[in-house]
Amino acid sequence: MIPTLLGITIVVFAISRIAPGDPVSSAMGRGEQSDVGQTDIRAARMRLYGLDKPIHIQYANWLWRVVRLDFGDSIKHHRKVWELIKERLPITLTLNLMAFAIIYAVSLPMGVLAAVKHGRLFDRLSSVFFLALWSLPIMWVGQMLIGYFTGVAFKNWFPPAGLSSNYADQLPFFLWLADRLWHLVLPVLCLTYTGFAYLTRQTKAAMLSNLQADYVRTARAKGLSEATVICKHVFRNSIIPLITIMATLLPAMLGGSVIIEKIFSIPGMGLLAFEAVSSRDYNVVMAIATMAGVLNLVGLLLADIAYAIADPRISFESAA
Amino acid sequence: MNRDEILLSVQDLSASFFTEDGVIRAVQNVSFSVSKGRTFALVGESGCGKSTIALSILRLVQQPQGKIVSGEIVFEGQNLLRLREKQMRQIRGNKIAMIFAEPMTSLNPVYTVGDQIAEAIKIHQKKNTNQASRKAGAQAWEDAVELLRTVGIANPEQRAHEYPHQLSGGMQQRVMIAMAISCEPKLLIADEPTTALDVTTGAAILDLLDELQKQNGMSILLITHDLAVVAERADDVAVMYASQIVEMADSQQLFAAPFHPYTRGLLRCLPRSSISNPRSRRLQTIPGAVPQPPPFPSGCKFHPRCRIGCNDNRCQTVEPELRQVQPGRYVACWHAPA
Amino acid sequence: MRKQAEEKTNWGASYGELIWRQFSKSWLNIGCLIFVVFLFLVAIFAPFLANDKPFVIRIEGKLYFPLFKNLQPVDYGILLAAIGGLSQLLLIRNERRNRLTKDGSVNGYGCATRLGISCAIIFAGTALVFVLIPRRLDATDYKIMVASGKATTAIFAPVPYGKTRTNLVARQQPPSGQHWLGTDDVGCDVLCRLIHGSRVSLSVGFVAVGISSIIGIVIGAILGYFGGKVDFIGMRVVEAVMAIPVFFLIITAVAFFPRSLLNMAIIIGITSWTGNARFIRAEFLKLRRQDFVQAAVSLGLPLRSILFRHMLPNAIAPVLVNATFGISGAIFIEAALSFLGFGVAPPTPSWGQMLSLGVSTTGRFLWWLTLFPGLAIFLTVLAYNLLGDGLRDALDPRLSKAI
Repeated sequence: MIPTLLGITIVVFAISRIAPGDPVSSAMGRGEQSDVGQTDIRAARMRLYGLDKPIHIQYANWLWRVVRLDFGDSIKHHRKVWELIKERLPITLTLNLMAFAIIYAVSLPMGVLAAVKHGRLFDRLSSVFFLALWSLPIMWVGQMLIGYFTGVAFKNWFPPAGLSSNYADQLPFFLWLADRLWHLVLPVLCLTYTGFAYLTRQTKAAMLSNLQADYVRTARAKGLSEATVICKHVFRNSIIPLITIMATLLPAMLGGSVIIEKIFSIPGMGLLAFEAVSSRDYNVVMAIATMAGVLNLVGLLLADIAYAIADPRISFESAA
Repeated sequence: MNRDEILLSVQDLSASFFTEDGVIRAVQNVSFSVSKGRTFALVGESGCGKSTIALSILRLVQQPQGKIVSGEIVFEGQNLLRLREKQMRQIRGNKIAMIFAEPMTSLNPVYTVGDQIAEAIKIHQKKNTNQASRKAGAQAWEDAVELLRTVGIANPEQRAHEYPHQLSGGMQQRVMIAMAISCEPKLLIADEPTTALDVTTGAAILDLLDELQKQNGMSILLITHDLAVVAERADDVAVMYASQIVEMADSQQLFAAPFHPYTRGLLRCLPRSSISNPRSRRLQTIPGAVPQPPPFPSGCKFHPRCRIGCNDNRCQTVEPELRQVQPGRYVACWHAPA
Repeated sequence: MRKQAEEKTNWGASYGELIWRQFSKSWLNIGCLIFVVFLFLVAIFAPFLANDKPFVIRIEGKLYFPLFKNLQPVDYGILLAAIGGLSQLLLIRNERRNRLTKDGSVNGYGCATRLGISCAIIFAGTALVFVLIPRRLDATDYKIMVASGKATTAIFAPVPYGKTRTNLVARQQPPSGQHWLGTDDVGCDVLCRLIHGSRVSLSVGFVAVGISSIIGIVIGAILGYFGGKVDFIGMRVVEAVMAIPVFFLIITAVAFFPRSLLNMAIIIGITSWTGNARFIRAEFLKLRRQDFVQAAVSLGLPLRSILFRHMLPNAIAPVLVNATFGISGAIFIEAALSFLGFGVAPPTPSWGQMLSLGVSTTGRFLWWLTLFPGLAIFLTVLAYNLLGDGLRDALDPRLSKAI
C-alpha cells in the first residue's frame, strides 16, 4: 500500500519535471525572459519556488508538503489548492457513487436474467447490443442528450447545465432536493450506461461459467428448485469476480467525470482538472493526479477487503 | 439375480447428446433392475455411458444438449420419466440421492459444510412450516452435526462450521455422503465415489457405505471402473461397453466364470502378483481402443478387438442383443455358452 | 463431408490459420474486418477522395494534374507504406501456398528476399517522390477557374473540398446538396474533414498500441522469466503505475507536454502498457517451467532468443486480444482529448475536435456536427471492439481440440 502510494507520487512528480519548460518560465511569459535584466528576476523566482535545488530535494520537499495536504496555490483561482479540492470533491464523489450504485443495482439482475435465458439468437444479439452500448463514446452521448432533451430543438425535459437552478436556494429542502436530482439525471445517465453494459456482460459470463460447475449438479441432485440453485448457489459464487471489477470501474468513472462535468458544467473535480489543464495550472494538475491515485488506491483496498469477505478461500492477510 | 423385491427398474433406456458435431448416442437400450437392500455395480471404461445412466435416473442430464430419448425408469411404481419437475424434485435428495466423483468441486465453496447439509434437510422437511423458521433451522443444524458424526467425521460440531476447502478429500466425500443420506433415501447412486481418493481413503469410504447400507437398508447403485471394488462390494454387476450392457450377472458368478469376451479381457488385464501365478508376469491388454461415436463399428461393437469376433461374419454384421443364457445371467454375445 | 475435409486440412495448418478458420465462421467478424479494411483504405487514399484540387484540368488547351502535383510527403509516405505492407503480405501468402503444395520443400522466398523487395520498393518510391514533390504550395482555387470559364473540362475528387480551405460565407450549414454532411464553424466541409480525420484516429490508435504492446511485452517477459526478487520489485512498480487512473495520468501528461499527434500517441502508449505486462508475466511464469524452455536454456541459446522466439509465440494470444481493445481505447481517448481541447491542434482534422463544435458558442445545437463525427467514432470503436471479441472467442481453448 505505502510503496504504491510513494510510487504514485514519484510518477506524478516525474511527469511534471520531465516536461519541457518550468512553472516560472510559463508564468513569466516568453517575451520577458530574453531581456537581460529579467534573468535575475527569474533566478530569484526559481530560488523562491525551490526550483534551483537538486531534483531529489525538490521531490522530498514536495512530498513533505503533500503529506500535510499542502498542494500549493492555484495560479488561476488564487486560492489554496486543497480548499478548491475540498469544495469540489464531494460533488464528484456523489455523482460517481450514485452512478456506481445504479450500475450494480441494475446490472446484476440483468446479467443473471441474460445468463438464465441463454438461447442462441437472443444470446448473440444481446451480446452485440451490450458491446455496442459499451462502445458509445461518452462525449457523443452527452452532447446528443443535451442537444435533444434539453433545448428547443427537440424536447425540453431536462436542464442543460449546472447542479441547481438559479432560484434553488430559495426552495424548501425537499423541493431543493428534487431540483438537484432533476439536474443530475442526464449526467448520471451518461456515467452509468458504460459501466452498466460492461458489468452486465461480466455478470452473464460469470454466471454462465458457474452454471457449468459441479456443485450446481449436486445442488440440483439435492432436490433444490431451479430458482434457489441460481439465486443462492450460482449467484453467490458469481459475485466474487464482480467485486474485483469494482476496482476497475471506479477509475473509469473518474475519468468519465472530467468529460461529463465539462459538458454539463458541473462544478466538480473533473471540471477543476479540465480548467487546470487548459490554463496550465500545474499545482492543481499535480494535486488532482495525486488525489485521483489515492482515491483509486482506496477503491482497490475496499475491493480487496470485500473480496476477502465474499470468498472464504481468501484470508485477510493474503488480501491486504 | 435374486428375486428380491425390485426397487428400481430401468427399461430400454436411450439417451443422446445433440451437439454441433453430430448426435452422440451415449446410452442405447439399457435395461437393468436394482433390488432392495442390494448393491448393483455398473462397470465400464470412461465414456461408455455409465454416468449418463446415473444422471438419467435423476433426470439431471445436461440440457439442452442431452436428452433422454426413450425408455422407462420405474421407481416405486412410478415412471420417473413421466413425472412433472416438481414431483421429481421431491424425489431427488429425498428418495433417491446421489454422490459424485470429485468431492472438492461438488461442494459449494462459499457455504459451510454444515449449511449445505442442513439445506438438504430443510428442503425435504414436510414438517410444520408454521414453526419459526429459525427453530427449524436450528434443528436442521443439529441434524447436520449428527449426520457428520454418523459418517465418521471427528469433532463434528466444529467441522460443521468449516468450508469445503478446509477439509481433506476423504472428509469432503464423507460430507457428500452425509448430505445424501440426510433424508434416508431408498436408493443411493454413487458415481465413482473413490476415483479422486487414494486407496486407503477410498476403502474407508466404501466401508462407510456398506455400514450405512446395513443400517438403513438402502440400495446402492455403484458406478465405477475399478473391478477390484466391484468384486469386493457389489452384489450384482453389469458390464458396459460403448453405451450398451454386454453382460449382467450376480457378482460371484461373473468373476468366477465370465462369458463375454470383453469381461474376460478385463479380468485378464488385472495385474496379478507372480507369487500366485508364476506364468503371467507380463501385463495383458485388450488390443485396440474404445470406439468413439458416432461411427460405431457395425454388428457387435466389440468385434474389432475380439479374438473370435474379428473373424466371425455374424459378429461383424449383426448386433447381438442382451439375452438371458442362464437364470440370472445375461450376455450380449453370439458365442456365449447358452 | 465438409467437416471431414476440414479435419484433413487441419493437419499442417499453422496456429494463425487455425485461428483464422475459427474467426471467420461468424459473419459479424468478417463484417467488422471489412469495415476496418474500408477505414484503412479511406485513410490511405484520403487525399484522392477529398481534395479541392482536380485530378485533371484543361486550361487553355493544355492538360494539368494539380492533385498529383500537390500531394504532401506524408501522403506519399503512407502510400509507400501501404504498398510495401501489401506486397509483404502477398509474398508471405504465396510462400505458404507454395510450401504446402510442393510436398513440404522449404523453398520459400526467405526473410532476406522479402526484406530486399521492400527495400527496393522504398527506394524506388522515395526517388519518385523527390521528383514529384511540389516546389511551392499551389493555392489556386480551381473551382473559381472552372466557374469563370478559364478552364474547360475538369475532373474533381468525389468530395471536392479541401481539408483546410475555409469558407466563412458557408459556415455552420446543415447538410445540403452541396455539402453532403454540412459545414463546420469555419466553413470546412464536414465529410472532407471526416475523411482526413480518419488518418489521425487510426495513426494514434496503432502507434499507441504498438508502443504499449512493446513496453508491456518486454517488461512482462523479464518479470515472468526471472521471477523471484526481480518479479517482486517489478510488480510493485507495475502496480504503482496501474494505481493512477489512466485518464488522469494522460491529462496530467498532456498538461505538461506540447500538443502534437506524436506526443499524444506516445503518452497514450506509455500509460497503458500495464495490462499487457500482467498478461505476459502470467503466461511466462507458467511457460518457464515447461520442458521446451528448459531445453532451450540448456542449449545455451541467448536470452532474447529464448524469450522472444520460443516463449513469446505461446503467450501472445491475450496480448493480441488486448491490442485490439487497445486500439479502440486509444481511438476513444484521442477523441476525448481532442473533444476537451487537449488533443491535436487545428487545422489538423480530428473527429473529437469536430464533435466539440456540435454546440456552438452561442448555445445553438448543430446536429450534423454532433451526429456524424460521433457516429464515425462510435462505428470505429465498435468495429474494433467486435473484432477483439471475435478474436477472443476464436482463441478459446476450443482451438486446442484441433491441435
